[in-house]
Amino acid sequence: MATFELSGIVRNFGGVRALKGVDIAVDAGESLVLLGENGAGKSTLIKILTGALAPDAGEIRIDGVAQDFRSPLDAQNAGISAVYQEPMIYPHLSVLENLFMGREITGAFGRVDRAAMRRTARPILAELELDETILDRPMAALSLGYQQLVLIAQTLAQNARLIIFDEPTSILSRAETERLFTIIDRLRAGGRAIVYITHRLEEVPRVGDRVTVLTDGAVTGGYGKGGFSETTLLELMAGKNSREIEAEITAHRTPAGDPATPPVMEIAGLSHPAHFEDVNLRLPPGMITGIYGLVGSGRSEVALTIFGELTRSAGTIRLEGQEIAPADPAEAIALGIGYLPEDRKLQGIFASKPLEANMTSNGLARFRGGWGLLDFPALAAEARRIMGQYNIKAQSARTLISTLSGGNQQKGLFARWAGQPFKVLILDEPTRGIDVRTKDEIHDFIRDLATGGVAVVVISSDLKEVLSVSDRIVVMRAGRVVDEVSGTAMTPERVLSAAIGAGQTGESAA
Amino acid sequence: MTAPTDTPPHGSGRDPEHDAAHGPAQGPTRNPARDAIPPAPTPPDPAAPDPAAPDTKALAAGARGNRLAAFAGAREGVLAITLVVVLVGITLGSHGDFWSHVNINNLLVRIAITAIPAIGMTLVILTGGIDVSIGSMLGLVAAVGGLLFQAGWSVWAVAPVFVLLGAGFGLVNAAIILGGRVPPVVATLGTLSIFRMAVFLVLGSNWITMIPPELTTLFITSRLWVLPVATVVALVLMILFALFLRGFRTGRHIYAIGNNAEAARLAGIKVRRLELYTYVLLGAFTGIAALLTLGQSPLVQNSTGTGFELGVIAAVVLGGTELSGGKGTILGTALGTIIVELIKDGVVLMHIQPFWGGVLLGGIILVSIGANRRFPGKAAGTKGAGG
Repeated sequence: MATFELSGIVRNFGGVRALKGVDIAVDAGESLVLLGENGAGKSTLIKILTGALAPDAGEIRIDGVAQDFRSPLDAQNAGISAVYQEPMIYPHLSVLENLFMGREITGAFGRVDRAAMRRTARPILAELELDETILDRPMAALSLGYQQLVLIAQTLAQNARLIIFDEPTSILSRAETERLFTIIDRLRAGGRAIVYITHRLEEVPRVGDRVTVLTDGAVTGGYGKGGFSETTLLELMAGKNSREIEAEITAHRTPAGDPATPPVMEIAGLSHPAHFEDVNLRLPPGMITGIYGLVGSGRSEVALTIFGELTRSAGTIRLEGQEIAPADPAEAIALGIGYLPEDRKLQGIFASKPLEANMTSNGLARFRGGWGLLDFPALAAEARRIMGQYNIKAQSARTLISTLSGGNQQKGLFARWAGQPFKVLILDEPTRGIDVRTKDEIHDFIRDLATGGVAVVVISSDLKEVLSVSDRIVVMRAGRVVDEVSGTAMTPERVLSAAIGAGQTGESAA
Repeated sequence: MTAPTDTPPHGSGRDPEHDAAHGPAQGPTRNPARDAIPPAPTPPDPAAPDPAAPDTKALAAGARGNRLAAFAGAREGVLAITLVVVLVGITLGSHGDFWSHVNINNLLVRIAITAIPAIGMTLVILTGGIDVSIGSMLGLVAAVGGLLFQAGWSVWAVAPVFVLLGAGFGLVNAAIILGGRVPPVVATLGTLSIFRMAVFLVLGSNWITMIPPELTTLFITSRLWVLPVATVVALVLMILFALFLRGFRTGRHIYAIGNNAEAARLAGIKVRRLELYTYVLLGAFTGIAALLTLGQSPLVQNSTGTGFELGVIAAVVLGGTELSGGKGTILGTALGTIIVELIKDGVVLMHIQPFWGGVLLGGIILVSIGANRRFPGKAAGTKGAGG
């Protein structure tokens, strides 16, 4: 019996099954790496373990005793704390207060006993090799790396027996990363259990005693130290039925547009000071270019730069041979560039408006009636036509879009952009969080668009989607284009390994 | 500054060789935040000072007990200097009228009337909220209280009513903001108009002048040591709340809410309940201010309290409290209040047209917000090594 056990954890979001009965276990003094692609269910699992989400089924046991966490506070009191990707800090307060917020040591009438807190903090700081003077500094004055150390100290101040690290190195430099690994070793040697979440393959052997691979919400493999190779992990992450995917892909694939035809858009040396560097792309008409990369690889930022929302620091964008520099999205749209944003709720739907307004908002110029007013009957007819064309299920075009299912909302947004005569259309996560059937439908619509001569770009974290819909795939990692594949070279392993930087273990271990 | 003392708390926090080699290419991965330049991406330049390096200067100053230098560098020090400058300016500009007995007394009472609600306003703003309705609220409490005076109630009977009424109106604001999830500015702009309309309904077109003279005797003309009672009340409340905010658990939780409400909630802090308390407290303190206002000038009319909120908010913001919450001190608010009242007084003494007073207050708010952004200062409410 392991110290911390999760068994049969199930969690659904709407109709989507994010976790399909996951079992993991970790012992005191042991570190477990949870490895998985974007959307594999890692974050959901962590939220359940830390009490931020309740599972729909399954059990969490500590020392064999079943737990019922109703809040993160419950989990903390049971000895489970997490260090999140984005530091959760009180920027204006001192490090000392950040360490103890909510669990201050107090004297009479709730008077905060700072001297006692200082005494408690001292051995914790020593364990992390931090100087005591850091306690008086405001949190905001520390670098992200030191803020993370303070948050680790916070878990120790909470007497955590299980510490969860959620992709902790994504904000760290190399040196900071190495220091973090040393600290994790020490924590583990001190008898604490560690769960370490990552999608960076090269970190696995350095951090983990064991590794568990999560794919599509299910555990697809578990190995002890030395019991795995990069290839086996990669295959597991890509999904064990990658052969099936390939069969499906070849079945769908239509002959790509002729690469020799002059591209609609050509991007050279495009750079942004914070997000990406030296990106080159050729977008021929009638071709679907997939851009795959992990969150933070800069894929959406490239699109937003083309769309005039972000400002480039270098590089050129040519549209049909003409150099362009859209200053904002309105100008990009006028030039013939469309962008379906990735966040449906925040950047997509007009939640309080009916479906009709949502679908037609980009094409209002075509519906001008008398005296410059909108031609409402024509708009209504257009809305009915779109609903038919894209098989959107709603009571009527007057239904509020926010009351529809995610899939129908997404089809409505797709129609908003696809119905316009764009030369280049960028679709960012066109099928995120929707069911498989609608996904397939949207993929067909995307192919129709390309057949119509539009240069289409599909940005996705969904490996299967990118593989099945694209004629050619550009892989991005850490702000750079690291691979470009087309035809039979488009295998899940190749794309995924380029995206996560597999095969570079030696470099990082150095 | 790369003095040898400027090293991070332990060893080298940054390996220059690694960073120089990987810095540019790694830049984009360091912060996955979208659509924004990451906050202070660590420069790959090995010569740049590590932001985590302890501020050796400040620490050394604390160790030597050189508090004066630290104080002058802090927000409060800047305010104290400003205060002296304003004081000298008014003395010269008013040809000495400023230092007359009558003027100093009036000024001390007016400072008290602004300072007491300013304590409550500081707490509200520290949590990230705001209440712009307190001018109308003061008018409404004064109107209802005035009617009770007219009906022959004694000062001792009416005084608690003032406080309770104010607390009640604060509760109304809290209910709209927290219950209805309405942004505080919008909610209290609404009640600003509603409370003012209620004043009209209560008073009709009448004035109330039947305020018992004992009220004035009790709070305004009586003195403890040299200060009017009203000023002593304000001073005591200021000290109590300064200690509360600085040294007590609930006080620190108020800062935590303004710093990161979500983190505070996850740390088990009762965020909404504390926010409610701050609005109720501000209401009660506005009630006290209404009582003192009647003591100072025994007249209630439809316009009583109009624009009062502006002075209070100006005092708090000038005192260094961040409008976004999480940072500020009562000492700062006290100094801010004194400066605001001095300026208002100076406008009168120097025979400047009254609406310039409003321009000055608005200007103070704008300049202070700019200064807060530019000079972020130290950890909130805990200065120096004393914590």
